[in-house]
Amino acid sequence: MGKTYWEAFKEAGISRREFLKFATYITGLMGLAPSMVPKVVEALETKERIPVIWLHGLECTGCTESFIRSNAPYASDLLLNVITLEYDETLPAAAGILYEENGKMVRSGLVGHLDKVVEEYKGKYILVYEGGVPLGNDGRYCIVAGRPYKEDVIELAKHAAVLMSVGTCASWGGIQAARPNPTHSVPVSDLVNKPLIKVPGCPPIPEVITGTILHLALFGMPPLDDQGRPKQFFGNRIHDTCYRRPFFNAGQFVEKPDDDAAKKGWCLYKIGCRGPTTYASCGNLRWFGGISYPIQSGAPCIGCADKNFWDKGPFFQREKGIVLPNVEVDADKVGVAAAAVTAGALAVHAIAAGIRHAGEKDDEH
Amino acid sequence: MIPNVVKKSFYRFYLFQPGLRIWHWVQFLAIFVLFFTGLYIGNPFFIGSILDPTDAYGKALCMDLIRLIHFAAGYVLLFGFIYRLFLMVTKKSHFWLLIPKFWKGWFWKGIFDVLLFYTFIKKSHIPLVRNPLARTAYFFVMLLILFEIWTGFAMYGLSNPDGFWAKFLGNWTLALFGSEYELHFWHHVVAWIIALFVMVHVYMVFFNDFIAKEGELSSMTSGVKFFPEGHLPYDCDDVASKEECKRLKGET
Repeated sequence: MGKTYWEAFKEAGISRREFLKFATYITGLMGLAPSMVPKVVEALETKERIPVIWLHGLECTGCTESFIRSNAPYASDLLLNVITLEYDETLPAAAGILYEENGKMVRSGLVGHLDKVVEEYKGKYILVYEGGVPLGNDGRYCIVAGRPYKEDVIELAKHAAVLMSVGTCASWGGIQAARPNPTHSVPVSDLVNKPLIKVPGCPPIPEVITGTILHLALFGMPPLDDQGRPKQFFGNRIHDTCYRRPFFNAGQFVEKPDDDAAKKGWCLYKIGCRGPTTYASCGNLRWFGGISYPIQSGAPCIGCADKNFWDKGPFFQREKGIVLPNVEVDADKVGVAAAAVTAGALAVHAIAAGIRHAGEKDDEH
Repeated sequence: MIPNVVKKSFYRFYLFQPGLRIWHWVQFLAIFVLFFTGLYIGNPFFIGSILDPTDAYGKALCMDLIRLIHFAAGYVLLFGFIYRLFLMVTKKSHFWLLIPKFWKGWFWKGIFDVLLFYTFIKKSHIPLVRNPLARTAYFFVMLLILFEIWTGFAMYGLSNPDGFWAKFLGNWTLALFGSEYELHFWHHVVAWIIALFVMVHVYMVFFNDFIAKEGELSSMTSGVKFFPEGHLPYDCDDVASKEECKRLKGET
């Protein structure tokens, strides 16, 4: 406790030059202007490293898989030098009751690592949630270290400085909250009353996770949009940053996933690409150090960072249909049918009017 | 030959002022353009031979241009709406032309009377300047138009997340609907409801012109309706100017 980032770097044998390179890199990553580099260096030199507690609920650990593939900064750098990941159920070497325990050990005299961390960093740690929280059956659908997960969610949030939900499950509920949601899973924000920063995505881009953690550690809360997402990573639609956008503007669309247009790399809008409605950095940051992203590899975006995206119709359909009992129909088809029915009704009405008011002309003239 | 003599005499009743008539037709044009460009945007196709993207820009019908037209027409609809609100606050009769008086007995009587007239149960309805059923329908259509303006500009604005529209409408609308995917859907559905209204509206105007013979069809171009002698409408003081109502009652 008490070590600044720069001190930790020095201890790890990282040169001043490397340190400055790192500071420059993360400045760009956080979406800050180059003129901010001195401030980032200053923050790294003066701020104490912030401990992170990372919880796992109902999820697939895909977000962690994404996180440890972070290219810039490398996850190993981030874990060992930048943040102090004090508690995480999947990444540490330690395991078992002495690592996991929170609560009961204090009473029995033994103190678990989680207990110690919470006690030591009260009000200072960043609490990262990964995964949805099942409330059904009193939370028994997700038991971590012998406790229902929802208890930890509420308990550990009490002493946290900042809360952060990583991934679509923690941010919006995710796949287990999709209809019919048998475990009654909810996003973390339904249970806690503290400022929560949402980093949705299934999984989120690794650089987005690390960039947000860095911003929290160095400068506190980044600017958020109305849904609680950091603006620098979720400010734009994928559509508006997509390299295939010129094909959209030109009106050149893929009609079927394997047609000629698909081979030419035209716009995927008509086969259900969710780029126009999804806010994420896939279009500009891309994945794995900028190698590619779903649209670039020829698959329409499924909108994995979007709220309740699992429930939004078939992924390869442009717009969801209107749900009638047992069938789901295209809005245009319903519209045309309704227009035809209306036209028919009006024609019938007109004929009836002719019959009913037939004799009137003679009365008036 | 003796020509047919019209026994019944009709008053020329001046109802719609020029500003209102121009507004109506501008509104019509905007909605017409918006609906069909909107259908294209929802389900686009490329017209003409396709060689390469630069060639596509040379063609008149491409997504970019259609969207531009859609947005321009959207602005026309918006300013038309604001202009109509301006008319509402500056002129009492223009206000009541659009606001139904649900709290008045005669208004409900009017609605049922017109319904009976439309279903051919009665041959005429109580004397009215503006039929209360239409007045109610127009009110709800204005709400639908407002919904389209709201959702449309919210989606439009979000391509510039720090711009005026995003701050004014975009962000909170997105949070309200949860996702822009839902916004697209509802914008599309309500557009179809407005199209259905247009069909019924046009038919009803023709029907009234033929049957009630009050000059319904031409009133939106000339501003004038025709009422037979002794016709004293219930809603005259609401929707028409004082002078016209006095003239109708024979007070001047």
